[in-house]
Amino acid sequence: MNININVLFHILFLNIPTLFFSQNKEELSILNSEIKNKSDKFITNKSFHKAQHFFLSKNWDSTLVHSMKQLSITKNEELKNYCHYFRGHSFNEKKLFKEAQQEFASISKNFYFYYNTRLFLGTIAIEKNEFQQAIQYFKDVEEINTPNIFGVKKSNIEHNLGICYLHLKKYDKAETFLLKSVKKQENEKDTLILIGAYGNIATLYYDQYKDDLAIPYFQKAYKLAKKTTDFDIKRRTAKNMAVVEENRKNYKSSIAYRKEFEKWKDSLNDQNKVWEVAKLEKEFAVQQKQKEVTVLEAENKLKVAERNKLFYSAIGLLVLLASGGYFYREKIKTNKIIVAQKGVLDELNATKDKLFSIVSHDLRSSVNALKTSNSKLQESLETKNFTELDTQLNNNSAITNGAYNLLDNLLHWALLQTQQGYFEITSMRLFIIVEHVAYNYKPLLLDKNISLENTVAKKDLIDADQESLKIILRNLLDNSIKFSNKNGSIKVYSRNTNDTFCELVIEDTGLGMTESTRLELLKDTALLSKKENEDIIGTGLGMQLVKQMIQKNKGKFNIESELGKGTKMIVSLPKTAG
Amino acid sequence: MDNINVLIIEDTKAQSDALSKVLNANNYNIVGVATSYKDALDFFYNNKVDIVIIDIFLNGNPDGITFAETINVVPDASRPFVFLTSSTDRKIFERAKLTQPFSFLMKPFNELEILYAIEMAVEKFYAQNDVFLSDEEDTVISKDYLFIKKGKSLKKVLLNDIIYIEVEEKYCNIITEKEKFVILISLTKILDLLDNAIFCRTHRNFIVNTEKIIEIIPGDNLILLSGGHKATLSDTYKTIIKKIRTLR
Repeated sequence: MNININVLFHILFLNIPTLFFSQNKEELSILNSEIKNKSDKFITNKSFHKAQHFFLSKNWDSTLVHSMKQLSITKNEELKNYCHYFRGHSFNEKKLFKEAQQEFASISKNFYFYYNTRLFLGTIAIEKNEFQQAIQYFKDVEEINTPNIFGVKKSNIEHNLGICYLHLKKYDKAETFLLKSVKKQENEKDTLILIGAYGNIATLYYDQYKDDLAIPYFQKAYKLAKKTTDFDIKRRTAKNMAVVEENRKNYKSSIAYRKEFEKWKDSLNDQNKVWEVAKLEKEFAVQQKQKEVTVLEAENKLKVAERNKLFYSAIGLLVLLASGGYFYREKIKTNKIIVAQKGVLDELNATKDKLFSIVSHDLRSSVNALKTSNSKLQESLETKNFTELDTQLNNNSAITNGAYNLLDNLLHWALLQTQQGYFEITSMRLFIIVEHVAYNYKPLLLDKNISLENTVAKKDLIDADQESLKIILRNLLDNSIKFSNKNGSIKVYSRNTNDTFCELVIEDTGLGMTESTRLELLKDTALLSKKENEDIIGTGLGMQLVKQMIQKNKGKFNIESELGKGTKMIVSLPKTAG
Repeated sequence: MDNINVLIIEDTKAQSDALSKVLNANNYNIVGVATSYKDALDFFYNNKVDIVIIDIFLNGNPDGITFAETINVVPDASRPFVFLTSSTDRKIFERAKLTQPFSFLMKPFNELEILYAIEMAVEKFYAQNDVFLSDEEDTVISKDYLFIKKGKSLKKVLLNDIIYIEVEEKYCNIITEKEKFVILISLTKILDLLDNAIFCRTHRNFIVNTEKIIEIIPGDNLILLSGGHKATLSDTYKTIIKKIRTLR
């Protein structure tokens, strides 16, 4: 008998959570959504809105606080009912049954969810072993065939009633309710509840020593349990079978059941352990993974940093290389330029040296000629040979003229090289300048009996620096006279073939020159140092000066010549604009 | 027609002698040869000088430029001048150039060059460029004188000596108390340059020195001038009567 009670106890525990289970999970959500729909009209009340929100999100403590706030300020009965309902539910969830009972009891009868509150009260009564009270609540609900019992199946109510009667040992009533509920549950095919229900019925019969009726239900429960995966149920049904077989003195099968019971118990534990281990393993694995991830992250960071470092250093190297290459090339370029310049400078220096030697040679011969001439002069003076004196003086003046011209050219050449000379381009009449220069050559022309004609148009205006233009003309005239034969003629005239340039032509009927000499003369830097004709050809300094001065005056220079017939020196100078 | 008075500032006697010789040969009148800056100023302010020929370097200093700068301070008293120099030093030139109007002559120079330089100085000074070299004109008009090119040299005529000018196409007959000569100048230019308070047009071809008018006979369209000269007065220019205080 002792064992019997034990069995009953187990089965009761099996049952009640089943009821709660069904109400909590599947159907409470239906109930809750229904509550939400119905109570939404009150959400303009701030506190109620919060209470409802927290109720639906199962935050029971906050629900209690805000519903209390709402209760203290409202007088609307329906709103109050909802608040009481939230509070009762919350207290129930927190297992504060007494407070829950109070809250549910304060709900008025016309509350939309009134019967749900009754059911809550019923289950609470069962929890508190007040079975008589519980029967009262359940009967209220069961008798009224109302559809408004959200989330609760009729079978459950009958089941609960059966359990209550079972506890009160009113077996006949318990039997009717349990059988009623089993019938319905069989239809609903809820295996877990059905196993509990079979167990309860079996216990019912067993308590009344109706073993023949009880045993098939135990077996039914056991067989059904075999199909489930729930170890706990398997264990309980096996244990019940073992107790039953033991009482029937059928020890052999009892031991078998007992063993099975142990097995399920073990496997339950095992399962728990396995789960725990699995959980631990999982946690461990997760930790391991986490560690790996962090390690990988760190590695990645390191790699990225390293890659960046490499990248930047590569760029730096490239820039260094490029700039190095650039500077190297620049250096080579400048070196080339320097070498070229050096060549030019060397050449120029050599020319200069040569020039100096020629000039000094010329000067020395001139001065020497004067010296000898002077001694001759003294001689003539002593002998009073005046005709001889006259020719000698003329000769002297010619020598000094030549030497002076040479020195003058040298001076201007030096000034030109050092850029010290005054240079100002102005507009002037070409005719006048030619006249002025030619005036100095009158004695010389007379001496050689050369006629000079200046037929430059008086209106020809050109842009030039007066002094350098005079130097140009002086040298060109000097040359023309030098290379003219006696009784020759020199013509100076202008040609207006161009809009921007005025061509001044100095034409003589003298020696002329070969093509090679002409080209040589027109060359930019060459000084004519070859002395083909000791008496006539000079240093070339004059021509050099002419070319440079013309260039400085932005003019052009050309020579037309025929050997033995004469030469045309052509100077093109820019016309005065407008 | 008078010769032009030239002041020479030159410290080297040989050169000043040569210059004097050339200028005298071309009918220029040398009023003096100064050898220093101070002398030069004395000569300049105590004589009637028409042109100054200045050697830039006097005793090694560029006092010639200083002289030019000094006489330029009083514009009315200033005269045309020509710089002589043997130096082509750029700095000296830059400084000399500031004494506008600037004309210079490089030593050594010949006769043509010095005469040309003097003409250029006169043209530039009176801002009537390109007169003496052109074929169209030969006269520069200053406040007091006509500078006329005669042959190779310049002559001057005091404006106050002119009695009247008779225009004949491109030529102008200048009639003074003593002489009568022809110059080349355009009518518009001469009218423009003469002081029109003194010289008035009386006829298409006549410009009369109002100070030389003795009698105006409007009925005969005649103006009697000093020295027995006569000029024509046309109807167009009869307003001249109002301008002149006359005794009737």
